[in-house]
Amino acid sequence: MNAQQKNQKSSLPELVIRPEFEVSSLEQAQTGDVARKLSVVERIWNIDAVRKATILIGLAAVWQAYTVGFNVEPLMMPTFWSSFTRLYNDLFFGDLPARIWFSVQVLIIGYSIGMAIAAALTLWGQAARFGSDLISMAAAMFNPLPAIALLPLAMLWFGLGTASLVFVLIHAVLWPVALSTHSGFEGVSQTLRMIGRNYGLHGIGYVLKILVPAALPSILAGMKIGWAFAWRTLIGAELVFGASSGSGGLGWYIFENSQNLETDGVFAGLFMVILIGFVVENVLFRNVEKRTVNRWGMQR
Amino acid sequence: MSNTATITIRPEFEADGIGKAKTDDVARKLTLFERILEMHGVRKLTILVLLIVAWEVYTRWSEVSAYILPTFSATAAALYEAIIQEQLLWMVWNSLTVLVAGYVIGLIIATILTTAATTTRFGNDILSTLTAMLNPLPAIALLPLALLWFGLGVDAIIFTLLHSVIWPVALNAHVGFMSVSETQRMVGRNYGLRGLVYVAKLLVPAAFPQILMGLKIGWAYAWRTLIAAELVFGGSISDTSGGGGGLGWFVFSSQMDLRIAHVFAGLFMVILVGVVVESVVFNAIENRTVRRWGMQAR
Repeated sequence: MNAQQKNQKSSLPELVIRPEFEVSSLEQAQTGDVARKLSVVERIWNIDAVRKATILIGLAAVWQAYTVGFNVEPLMMPTFWSSFTRLYNDLFFGDLPARIWFSVQVLIIGYSIGMAIAAALTLWGQAARFGSDLISMAAAMFNPLPAIALLPLAMLWFGLGTASLVFVLIHAVLWPVALSTHSGFEGVSQTLRMIGRNYGLHGIGYVLKILVPAALPSILAGMKIGWAFAWRTLIGAELVFGASSGSGGLGWYIFENSQNLETDGVFAGLFMVILIGFVVENVLFRNVEKRTVNRWGMQR
Repeated sequence: MSNTATITIRPEFEADGIGKAKTDDVARKLTLFERILEMHGVRKLTILVLLIVAWEVYTRWSEVSAYILPTFSATAAALYEAIIQEQLLWMVWNSLTVLVAGYVIGLIIATILTTAATTTRFGNDILSTLTAMLNPLPAIALLPLALLWFGLGVDAIIFTLLHSVIWPVALNAHVGFMSVSETQRMVGRNYGLRGLVYVAKLLVPAAFPQILMGLKIGWAYAWRTLIAAELVFGGSISDTSGGGGGLGWFVFSSQMDLRIAHVFAGLFMVILVGVVVESVVFNAIENRTVRRWGMQAR
């Protein structure tokens, strides 16, 4: 014990006492105008959107310069401009809107049916312990199973067509939504639950007015993941088997173009996929979040 | 005045005839059966067994065509046979090596991007623009391009895997870094940490829950992308690389040969790998880090 204390003491740094002094020429320290006004350029540069737009334009310029400057084979990498004009032409004079509508339609059908089943499952999970066990069991088992792996089976069961796409989409949406809604419900604090019961809520009213608002952050998170999986699954499924389902969607548009070696069409399709994904994630879900969980102060 | 409720004074009374209220033994011991039913594992196992029995009974009684839905026993037999005779485990290994290669390279690139984004404003802008743009883009949509650029082979798959890993990981890590509290940052600077050490010793542990979330999402996307890529182009890829293809290819080729029991066996394998990675690997990491550090409940 003593030895230890000694050790600790010897490891302490020695105290250094510095001499006192007075600075005589303090007035001469020059600080510039601290609250200097920013110049116009600096103020514009401080706007987020401007900087991001610059980056986007810069990327497009680099792409264009690279493809033109190095004379890259358009088969491998078309110029930005040709991809862009292709997108413009197909979007306003071609069949791209019909393809987009086809994909979005299938997506919406699959997503809403998946949500409905997930809602029914989680309600059952709230009502009975057997349901709760079944959900956590099934979700743990089926959540890691990529929906697209079910596509071969779906085509066998429902034939080549929209029905098998919808089936696969339901699988992609159902499990993440059910899992996170279930765990969100489980995490609702006992206080909130008792308040609900004090107000005499039970059954559906209790779920809608207490559980859903209280668990909304995790429900929304589940819906976002479900959307992401569904979108990826849909594009993948259309890439593989889109042709068989009649008119075909956005994924099929990409696949067709790559088969015809029209790489500018592939890029046009990718632009569209990015655009739709961006709108859903950063406009749709962002707004829902702003109006609910952010406004209620549940999430920053 | 009329708004105030009138106070009613109820007469006092004494209830007779209640006698002894009958309460059963409140602290009754649970029967053995009930105690067994309380165990999580037992309940889940029961459900699993029930599902399997329902499947077997349904397929046997309704005489569904084996091409639509094979019996469970046929599926189990197919799984056994595929493992023994068709090197299913070797295919799993093929898939996993590609997955790990793509995942690791993706992590390295994501780390570089995030470090650049946390140190400079320009990097920050680039990362947020790129992630907003490329995160919603399904990686599988890039596969046609990747095949064009890298030819049929593992390279093309790894390229798409990279894309599926980088953006969710970088996005989550960046968000995590941004939300590290100012207090912790100042503590770090007080200790004289800066540069890489500052990131490794302060930002990473503080933002670890978020980073882990990004890793999990990245894994989920990568796994889905890999299976999809193998489903689509596995045949051509397995021909050129001579490795015998991966798990997705096993499912697809079995379906093409109408060996539906083998399709189900392949799906079982996919589920098994997914469950192992999600609930064993990631759970172990969580137990050793964020849960031990008390950053995440349960």
